[in-house]
Amino acid sequence: MNRRVLLLVSLGLVAVLAWVVWRLRVPEPGAAHGGDVDTLGTGYKSVRLYFAAPNGEGLVSESRELPDRTDFHDRAAELVSELDRGPTGSGVAALPPGTSLLHVYLDDQGLMTADLSRAFQQGFRGGSTNEYLAVASLVRTFGDDLPEVKRVLIVCGGEPLPTLSHLPLDRPLDPAELP
Amino acid sequence: MSGRRPHAWRRLAPLVAALIVGLVVVRAAAGDVFHPPGSSHRHAAATRARRTRRHRRGAPARSARTDAERLAASGRLASATAPAAPATPTAAERASEARIWATVAAAQLPENAPVDVRDGGWITAGDLARLLDATKFWRADLRKLELRTRGHRVLLTVDDPFAIVDDRTVELPRSVQSAGGMLRVPVALVDSLPSDSTLVRLVYDARRGLVLRVPEAGLVRTPHVTDDSLEARVVFPVDHPGDADVIGRGRSHFRLRLAGFFVGSVPDSLPEGHLVRSLRPLPSSLGSAFEFELAPEAQSFRILRDERHGALTLVIDRAARRDGEPFAPEGPPGPRPVHVIVLDPGHGGADAGVSVAGAVEKDLTLALARTLARELARRFGAKVVLTRTDDHAVPPEERAERANRAHADLLLSLHFDAAPGPQLRGITAYCPPATSSAASEAGGSLLVVAPWRDVAVRHAVRSRELAEAMLTAFELQGLGPVRLRELLPVPLLGVNAPGLMLECGVLTSDIDRARLTRAGGLDELADAIALGIAAYERPR
Repeated sequence: MNRRVLLLVSLGLVAVLAWVVWRLRVPEPGAAHGGDVDTLGTGYKSVRLYFAAPNGEGLVSESRELPDRTDFHDRAAELVSELDRGPTGSGVAALPPGTSLLHVYLDDQGLMTADLSRAFQQGFRGGSTNEYLAVASLVRTFGDDLPEVKRVLIVCGGEPLPTLSHLPLDRPLDPAELP
Repeated sequence: MSGRRPHAWRRLAPLVAALIVGLVVVRAAAGDVFHPPGSSHRHAAATRARRTRRHRRGAPARSARTDAERLAASGRLASATAPAAPATPTAAERASEARIWATVAAAQLPENAPVDVRDGGWITAGDLARLLDATKFWRADLRKLELRTRGHRVLLTVDDPFAIVDDRTVELPRSVQSAGGMLRVPVALVDSLPSDSTLVRLVYDARRGLVLRVPEAGLVRTPHVTDDSLEARVVFPVDHPGDADVIGRGRSHFRLRLAGFFVGSVPDSLPEGHLVRSLRPLPSSLGSAFEFELAPEAQSFRILRDERHGALTLVIDRAARRDGEPFAPEGPPGPRPVHVIVLDPGHGGADAGVSVAGAVEKDLTLALARTLARELARRFGAKVVLTRTDDHAVPPEERAERANRAHADLLLSLHFDAAPGPQLRGITAYCPPATSSAASEAGGSLLVVAPWRDVAVRHAVRSRELAEAMLTAFELQGLGPVRLRELLPVPLLGVNAPGLMLECGVLTSDIDRARLTRAGGLDELADAIALGIAAYERPR
């Protein structure tokens, strides 16, 4: 009986310790400067995220502080995650909800192949403007925040995605061509 | 083994044929020339941003001069295909176009009263009281009439050239007269009435011979045209300079829509050698619209809005400026035969497209295509082919094949849009981009290998002209705002004809949805599309 109690208490202590360690390692987003969290161990970088303008006529951008990561996949995945989280300013989320980055490949010509989760395709609700804004928000964000990226090819669930509905996605997209 | 060979050949032959016929596209075909990308109606800023970006990346910045013009200048493009001198329509063509646009319902005249134009113009006191919404008080002994309205008063005395407006005495050019039991007042009094917001604003429109009650959208007055060695300026005195759209960017059909009712006049003719060759008002059911014919030397244009002085200025530059916007390319002049029109109702079957509050895109596109087919057959006697006639899914490549087999003179892919928020409304056209990037990548060769998928780019200039005509029709019919995106959309992949994908309204907008789903909403849309095709076609 005593052994069982001891085991349970030990497990509880381990869980609490793990939670404390996790809390210290992952600070709240946006608390990089002036917050209570000690950021000595993690650098933060300002990124520019593109969302749909409230009037639907184009994109608006907002900047956000994200932990500075060295791994290319992590950086790209974090950007997609932030786009999916939505804007904090006047913009409107343009990505179909639940979209995440599964894999990413970058060749030596700056061609980035972004393999998105199925939610990108399944969550699309139609309309070329919705489609244009979703694609442009993603590609412009990659283009601005990942300097090594020159063009972006979108695939979905590990398979080619010729289109969501109206715009051809079978070729790489140049961020400069998506105003 | 010997039995296998013919089978293999049978399989290979279509592939080889497709490679030879399909993959090699002569992109500099007659009438199809290339121009800088991105000069769309609402994307001029984006175009500038793109240029800046190219510049930043070390690529040479493009000038507003079209690529075709540069090729023509270097002698690499046959002059017959170069739009160095934009197509100048003949008098007959202009007259025909004028007839087409004359069918647009003109903006409703504001509340008005006739003016007797003899002796400088007279308006009856009764009409003046009606327009001012004033109450009349007649003093027979003094022969005075007082008009009272919203804290203001106007006192008129028979045979007296002085009127009292509130506490001011106004001298009129002639005395107030009594004729046939009715007082008549020199129309000049209208200019002396208070202009504050408490009183209805009146204006004398000499061209129409009417005194008008100024509508909420305000007025557009007589434009003033100047020209010097650098630029031409057309200054429109307007009440709301912020509300103006360029709805046509071709040099021979440059069109501007302004909020406000036009009460001025335009010059009958302009001096030779000027950048602005002619200027005429177009009928518009929303505000007022003007069409300019510009000289080929015009390189870029700018719109300047002066809210403080109430002026909107169109500046046309002789030399391309970085802050100027380029003109749209124009093909050779003359009629564009439209014998076969392919209508492509978007979506179908399991693919419903956008669905909002009972408005389903696949049903609306099919209903619009049917209405439009009847209208086009009636107006043009054209053969109209639908890529689908019922509710079933048709793959994009099959739609393109049907259009190509029909030898389409033009294709319209009909869709309805949706946006992340409820604010976006109006109509968006997608047309193939006419870029010369492939040509320059090929070392300037006139022969460019391009995949069949992109064959619609051959017809980019014609498609752009179709878009200009179509969007003008939408704007003039009050169905705007309109947008143009130069992007090759999926419905135009593999289509060997001029074509557009039209998002004919935004179903996530309450205003558009109500307009489209009410009785007659699709008829109105079909009418505007037919009008756009008529303007594109010009006289046969």
